[in-house]
Amino acid sequence: MKYFHVRSKLLHEIAVLYPKGHLDAHNVERFEREIIKLVGNDVIKIVVNCKDLNYISSAGMGVIMGYLDEIREKGGDIKLCSLNERVFEIFDLVGFTDIYDFLNDEKTALNKFNDVSR
Amino acid sequence: MFQDKPQLSIVISSKTDMLKMVVELTRHIAILNGFSITDAQKISLAVDEAITNVITHSYQKNEAEKINLEFFSAANGLKIKITFSGVPPTMGEPRVDLNKMIKAKKKGGLGVALMKRIMDSVEYKTIGNINSCEMIKWKREN
Repeated sequence: MKYFHVRSKLLHEIAVLYPKGHLDAHNVERFEREIIKLVGNDVIKIVVNCKDLNYISSAGMGVIMGYLDEIREKGGDIKLCSLNERVFEIFDLVGFTDIYDFLNDEKTALNKFNDVSR
Repeated sequence: MFQDKPQLSIVISSKTDMLKMVVELTRHIAILNGFSITDAQKISLAVDEAITNVITHSYQKNEAEKINLEFFSAANGLKIKITFSGVPPTMGEPRVDLNKMIKAKKKGGLGVALMKRIMDSVEYKTIGNINSCEMIKWKREN
């Protein structure tokens, strides 16, 4: 049974990823493949919309961490939005909230990219 | 004082598809032992991280290996003991430097840090060719 799914959409030059369900070491490759595909296509502005993400372990956080340097070096960023309280707390436990932008909703996250490009 | 006999003991295959079951089981056990749902969810994440480390590092994804998981209850806490063989684990750095890890493009190394932040004690031991990870969470006074 699949308990994790990820889809993405491209809005001009910004990609929005929608991880859904339970993200752990078992299914992290699916999530990583999406990030690799985007970075490989030079899409370096990425919003991870976590509205349907119920669980994340360090495996999932590691993917978000592992590509950040390359993305920022190219002038892009990864922003996270719409996290439920439980998932936000996990990111906060390891200090991600000091490094990444966590926004309340997708619109705010997209605007944050657009503000910078202006 | 923890009971001598585990409240529950299971043996699982060293496969990542076991992780979600282990997380759900741990959450239920923690709630049964009087932890809040929030604490139970965190404890289950710590167990996920510990088992993932065993599968990835100690057994190097060899699915034929087995992992023993035991839960010991006490009036004021829960102890979880994970026993396995394979490559002896290392505790890693006591604190993670996220900026350094990002610069180094590291994808691993957060698991033990999470375990230590969630649990009140995390202890790895190796005796002969048997390794164990013992984690304790005490109940908070309200």
